[in-house]
Amino acid sequence: MAIRHWRVKDRYYRLIGSRCTECGAECFPPVYRCRKCGSEKIEDREMPQSGKIVTYTQLHEPLPGFEAQAPFYLAVVELDNGAKMLTQLVDSTDESVKTGAKVVATVRRARVDGDSGQITYGYKFRVT
Amino acid sequence: MSRVAVVGIGHSRFGRRTDVNLGELAFESIKQAVDDAGVDRKDIGNVVVGSAGGWYEESLPAVVVGEYAGLSGAGTMRVEAACASGSAAVKAAYNSIMSGETDVAMAVGVEKMTEVDTPTSVELIGRAGSYTWEFENYGMTFPAYYALYAVAHMKKFGTTQEDLARISVKAHHYGSMNPLAQFQKEITLEKALGSQMVAWPLKLYDACPLSDGSASVVLASEDVAKTLTDTPVWIRGVGYSSDTANLSRREDYVGLRAAVTAASKAYSMAKVSPREIDVATAHDCFTIAELMAYEDLGFCEKGGGARMVREGETELGGRIPVNLDGGLKAKGHPIGATGVSMAVEITKQLRGEAGRHQAPIKHGVGLAHNIGGTGHYAYVTILSRD
Ligand SMILES: [Zn+2]
Repeated sequence: MAIRHWRVKDRYYRLIGSRCTECGAECFPPVYRCRKCGSEKIEDREMPQSGKIVTYTQLHEPLPGFEAQAPFYLAVVELDNGAKMLTQLVDSTDESVKTGAKVVATVRRARVDGDSGQITYGYKFRVT
Repeated sequence: MSRVAVVGIGHSRFGRRTDVNLGELAFESIKQAVDDAGVDRKDIGNVVVGSAGGWYEESLPAVVVGEYAGLSGAGTMRVEAACASGSAAVKAAYNSIMSGETDVAMAVGVEKMTEVDTPTSVELIGRAGSYTWEFENYGMTFPAYYALYAVAHMKKFGTTQEDLARISVKAHHYGSMNPLAQFQKEITLEKALGSQMVAWPLKLYDACPLSDGSASVVLASEDVAKTLTDTPVWIRGVGYSSDTANLSRREDYVGLRAAVTAASKAYSMAKVSPREIDVATAHDCFTIAELMAYEDLGFCEKGGGARMVREGETELGGRIPVNLDGGLKAKGHPIGATGVSMAVEITKQLRGEAGRHQAPIKHGVGLAHNIGGTGHYAYVTILSRD
């Protein structure tokens, strides 16, 4: 897990996705070929740090490594550039988590590896 | 164009099967299917094994199963399409007959999921989407994926937790009539609604169990089928499609695009409309999945799924009875076996051999809807009496 994470950590820490230089479509996570127009002229692009909730759930039965956080919210968020990502919501009251609510990015601890105890960090979102 | 028929069916008991190993479990359904078809084992040219794998120890299940069942020598392979592996196996076996390679082929679906503990199993299933971006970083689980769809569907169409619970009650009702089902007890609406929360709004009783089991079908070309049986059930249409690994790439969360595409291809190939379907199985890994299936299959308009539940349209006596074998929820869901189990159930229904849960057959057409992952794979298979 550590090596796999290291390979993508830049993109994960800095929320870097892709922008198509032909049609301008942006998406996250990164792609090799534009999902909108099919062009392979792709460049790295830092994603906007705000967006809105498309749909969500509150997870009560977590995976190993996530027990301490449960229950927690998972959501599909549409960023201001139209790119969508799946993420966790933190620091948000139950009443504030709803479809369409505005959210902003915040760096948080992601998970603790069960074997090595290694802690990884990444972006999560909170309702504004 | 030549045709392919189901000429033999077999089905093991589903559930926690610590009493058998993988080969023995597969053999239970293989033996029934071969006997039911009345074929000589040496005439079976191709044995396709649907199994997602990862839960049991054997890494070459097709070879292990083939040897135990006395089928070594036949062409064989294992196919994987997650929870739709069984339908993929039926499709591959069908193809080998349609192409003229063989006149008789088998599809065997088998899975042993209870050899690992539940957390390991939850992890294995959770990894099915986008490993890096959704599972590892954020702890997505399989119930959470479908919960994202449930919340979106409830928001857009007013579907309620009670609508979903009714699907679970229906599954357990029919499961109580199926001696091969994992759960054969009725449940109440209150029990379903009061069960433990897994991923809001999905609760324990909205989810299918982890299961061991196998199911098998023998398929034959038209010429051979007519020498074997007076009641062939023809594979009239198979549609299949796929969707993105990352759930964030989906256009919306109120239906499965792959299922809509697969259904449309299957209807077009079979030259039938949803109105002609007498009986169906829908992939109810979660209750919301069955409700969305009604819509994706065109049994009702988009957003009409909850109304079909409330009006009992998918119960016995309703317009299109769905999952009269108990569905994944009560019958059990040994991943690779499920698609073949659906073909077995629809064949039984069309032959009129379903006993207490027999649907009235008017047009002679049945449909199996089998989804892999969260709409990552979709297979729709249409069978008919003529
Ligand atoms: Zn483009």
